[in-house]
Amino acid sequence: MPTIRYVTSGCAVDFADGDDVNMLRVAIRNECHVPYRCASGNCGTDRVHVEDGHENLSAPRRRERERLGDLLDDGWRLACQTYVSGDCSVTWDPDQTALDERATDRSLPDAVNERLARRWLSAEDTD
Amino acid sequence: MPREALTVKGDDMDELLSKDEFRTALEDAIKGREAKNASFSMAWANGELKREHFARWAENHYHYVGPFADYLAYIYAHTPDHATDAKDFLLQNMYEEELSDVRHTDLLIRFAEACGTTRERVMDERNMNAVTRGLQGWCYAVAMREHFAVATAALVVGLESQVPSIYRKQYPPLIEAYGFGEDDVEFFDLHITSDEVHGERGYQIVLDYADTPELQQRSLDLVRAGAEMRFAYTKSLYDTYVAPDLERV
Repeated sequence: MPTIRYVTSGCAVDFADGDDVNMLRVAIRNECHVPYRCASGNCGTDRVHVEDGHENLSAPRRRERERLGDLLDDGWRLACQTYVSGDCSVTWDPDQTALDERATDRSLPDAVNERLARRWLSAEDTD
Repeated sequence: MPREALTVKGDDMDELLSKDEFRTALEDAIKGREAKNASFSMAWANGELKREHFARWAENHYHYVGPFADYLAYIYAHTPDHATDAKDFLLQNMYEEELSDVRHTDLLIRFAEACGTTRERVMDERNMNAVTRGLQGWCYAVAMREHFAVATAALVVGLESQVPSIYRKQYPPLIEAYGFGEDDVEFFDLHITSDEVHGERGYQIVLDYADTPELQQRSLDLVRAGAEMRFAYTKSLYDTYVAPDLERV
């Protein structure tokens, strides 16, 4: 039975042979304390360093490639974007924050602000 | 008590399941009814559809998922303040659907336009079929009428948590067999992963707050019903739009 080892929090989670499982979902379900925010590959809060088992991980997805860039070559992956099909071990900094602070900023993204302004403000207000 | 005896359709439970037993029962309630196995999904995964079939799918799917934040807002409104984690989950799910990035329905419309239909046709509710209308109405009714844990079970566990397994099967052929570009199909790529987390957090809310035998039983019944609704919706797309084309060949 394959095992994901969340080394930083001391968790080890087994899953059924033949399955491939989402690394962040398994961490949430088993309270392994991988930090995360958006879970959509935007913020990068859930990045983990793969110590062992690269070969048992899904190929990097588009958002992961865009968010991590060169960090991918250094062995980093986004837990939310990664599916695991065999043994692997990962570590992370428990205090790590987003790679892109804008993705977790409490203020609204620019596009949303523009949309709300168009909807609620008169033309004079937005001049 | 054997688990099977607790989860047989129509049986009423008279004792509280442990969280592990309840989780297994919730997962079992979906089994055999997964939308990934409906005829439209199978034809999709097997590379048998044409772009106009995807266009009709988008014109229906918009009216099922488009109001998802509305459904969640109804649940939010009758979730008690003490269930802070449940309220936060619902609010975050709504935020992610609508505001955190590109609006999810805009990604759906982008795909629809790549299939040859238009934003106007997608948004025109006259273009959904009767089964889609039924699914949308069921979602509204559950969100408005049921206990928040039961409604979360129905809509998040029964419906939303199925999304990764459906789209993981359907995404590769969109690129490899049907020739769409990565931009065109971002809607699917995004939901494969984001709904893993939504689904898991939904399970946690249901496991924590469906805390009587009656709430657990109602949750199981509505997860089963939700899975059946989504299966019927997906099958109806094949029956309405694909089967007539095949008959003409």
